[in-house]
Amino acid sequence: MSWADTLSTTDNLRPADQVMQLDRLGSMFASRLSFARSLVRKMIKERWQISNAVFDLNDQGHGTAIYRITTPQGLYHCVIFCRELRADQRSDRVIAEAWDATFAIVEGDVEAELLQNMADNVPLQEAGRLSSRVLVLSRANKSLRNFSQFVAALAVGEQPDPAALTAVGYLYRTTAVYGNGKFGIADFARLERNTDLNRPFSAQMLAVYVLRQFSIEQLNHLARVQAPDTAAELAPELQRYLGIGNSTGLGMAPFLINHPQLIQQWIYGRERALACARLQPASEKCRNKLLALMLRAHRYLQQTVTEDQAQTQRNRNIVQSVQQVIDWLERTPAHPALYRELTDWADKHSSVEAQELINTLLIEMYPELVDSLDDELGCHETMDLQPDMKVRKLKELIEQSFAWALSYSEESAEDNYWFWYRSEEKEEPRLGIRAEESGAEKETALAIGPRISRCYTLLAEFVQNNPSAMVVEFLMAHSKQKEIVRRIQTMAPTPYGEIRANLWHRDMKPMHLLRTKLSFFGAGRFDPKSDRWVRITLFQGAPLGVELTNPALSLDQLDDWSFPIQPERQPGKQAEAQ
Amino acid sequence: MKVSFNELQGLSRKAFSGVGFDDGDASDAADMVVWMEAHGLNGIQSLKRSLAFILEEDQSHSPEIIYQDADLCVVDAHNRTALNNASLAIELGYAKCRARGLSVTKIRHCHNRMLIVGYLSRVARRNMSVTAFWRDSHQPLTEILVSFKAGEEAPEICMYSLDDIPDDTEPNDGITLVMVNHVNLMPDFKADQTLNNLLHQDKHSMNNWQKHALAEGIEVEPEMWDRLKELATRILVESSDDSRQGAGAGTSDND
Repeated sequence: MSWADTLSTTDNLRPADQVMQLDRLGSMFASRLSFARSLVRKMIKERWQISNAVFDLNDQGHGTAIYRITTPQGLYHCVIFCRELRADQRSDRVIAEAWDATFAIVEGDVEAELLQNMADNVPLQEAGRLSSRVLVLSRANKSLRNFSQFVAALAVGEQPDPAALTAVGYLYRTTAVYGNGKFGIADFARLERNTDLNRPFSAQMLAVYVLRQFSIEQLNHLARVQAPDTAAELAPELQRYLGIGNSTGLGMAPFLINHPQLIQQWIYGRERALACARLQPASEKCRNKLLALMLRAHRYLQQTVTEDQAQTQRNRNIVQSVQQVIDWLERTPAHPALYRELTDWADKHSSVEAQELINTLLIEMYPELVDSLDDELGCHETMDLQPDMKVRKLKELIEQSFAWALSYSEESAEDNYWFWYRSEEKEEPRLGIRAEESGAEKETALAIGPRISRCYTLLAEFVQNNPSAMVVEFLMAHSKQKEIVRRIQTMAPTPYGEIRANLWHRDMKPMHLLRTKLSFFGAGRFDPKSDRWVRITLFQGAPLGVELTNPALSLDQLDDWSFPIQPERQPGKQAEAQ
Repeated sequence: MKVSFNELQGLSRKAFSGVGFDDGDASDAADMVVWMEAHGLNGIQSLKRSLAFILEEDQSHSPEIIYQDADLCVVDAHNRTALNNASLAIELGYAKCRARGLSVTKIRHCHNRMLIVGYLSRVARRNMSVTAFWRDSHQPLTEILVSFKAGEEAPEICMYSLDDIPDDTEPNDGITLVMVNHVNLMPDFKADQTLNNLLHQDKHSMNNWQKHALAEGIEVEPEMWDRLKELATRILVESSDDSRQGAGAGTSDND
């Protein structure tokens, strides 16, 4: 079987009933198909150039910086504004109104008029209005602890302790990265024919990647300002180990629910990659490569630090579980069906998180087979009604494809525990307890399971009295069901679009929703701050901008940056002098 | 002010929800307005003219089928907006056309009829040819014909006034839709017809308008934008100390 045939096969795919469980989705890791990896790979292949065009910062690091991004097809600029932020204004939440850095990606050149407009509006973020040439709008706050430690170390010619970057893997963390038409910026549809940035979230990832480069250069600048005679620059291995943080909350959830066709595409892509990898015959060389990847991931997980007790326990569990996988691999000789045997063994003996780690690493093994999926993770989203479908057929569809939703009970307090809503404070998404808090009458319709179940109840009654009727006649009698019927008809043939959980249920864990989306972004170092608020790191270990154009470095070398290990501490000038 | 396509669609959807439209109707209505605006057909102006009227309507009522057979249906919108009363009537016509090859749908007592074009584009997208006909005003008597070829993104639109009006003509607030599954029905003026105040908008100019809207954004009056925002706030929950905890974030990020 050729690899193309393998990639297009549907025989070996995991069942949706397994894949789409919320706890499994919430156990996924970033993979080589994640958007950060995919963007960097494209930048390497096409040798994108990222250069600093303006670096007008004062001694406090405040001012304007502009980066030029040149690709074979296009030209973009990233404009960054840094301003002083008072301690009482420092917040990662969407309700904040000021930030350490605000920035935007622009298509083409930045003329004086556009720059002035951006200077007036980018720092305002949601309160500003931007040009349609702006592709991404974002902001970030400093990790004060890392920033001050790092500047102090570099100023005296020392390198900062790498362990600080393991604990908090960045100098800046973004708190929102807006694309797709927000606040007047370009619609995603405008990028459809732009081969640089037409993959999902690739423009947003580019903005974050450039901020990483800026954070390094701003750090070096501040150290130089503080001690021009003694200052050192951040060592390349620490630059590479430095990522960009992101602080996020329930805002991730509405996207996952409101874009089921896109989610289907993402997960279908990942599952096809996995199905393809699992079919490959494992030679001794393959086994050793998988073992090496597993050992690196194990070390990464051992090093991961979080204050959250539950996550700490999860990390301990997975470290233990991955050790068992390593032991199994070490004692099991290579044979053609090794991967199938491994995943079958893991299904019985490993935690869900360890199972998903194995899957991620199997995908990692076969770039030549799976990387073409990078261009297949987007889709046109349209949901059309099929009004002439018979109501009997619709009822059968629900029974066959959405049986998971029918266990919902109107009477069960547990099934109706939470409600989702948006606050009048900058539309911040929030979660309330239905029996205790006000606002449920304005809840956001995110719980698809209960909606399907309610529709099914009405439909079953209608079918009894009108067995030959069409769906449109059912909707004439029950017009409130139009949206959910359209969704059922559209999604029923696609296995992976719907998360199989009741998002109102008391046991529902919002963190799983956050991690699902973040893993597709390419996030690592999950650091929960509550059951619905998390900090993560992007681009930790990724090649630097200057390395993208280095002909001495191959794609294989540069692309191999998953699960980065803490670099050794470098001796500084003081140590060398002793 | 300039806004993006997605931004206008999102805010319109929230505003319609704020007015009381059901979720499906709110997203359909937003799509209709934005489709019209992006194709140079003044969706926002149409909405602006009728907004006060829509706000007075009882949104809980559904359109009513007053007659149907295998090929024909007549639906009464009870003097309410096409924005949340036309879609199911159109879908009913679509279903009949799928079964019979041709269907005729009449929607009676309906306003904002021009906005229906935004929804008809979905019928064409699903590979069905559709022509809509209605009379828009009585003095002078104006007729509008909108015709989508199956599979095409934009229609041909003809609007013209008639000099010769029969004495017994009464104001008409209905719309007639003809859907055909296997051939195309396109408007074509009679060779000897004298047409006054002719507007003939072709699909190429509408497609160009859409490309321009995506590249440059869509112009909206700030007052109308603020009005939509105000309506959209109706679906937001008042904030309190308790609700602030509902986001799950900490209180300090000074680290």
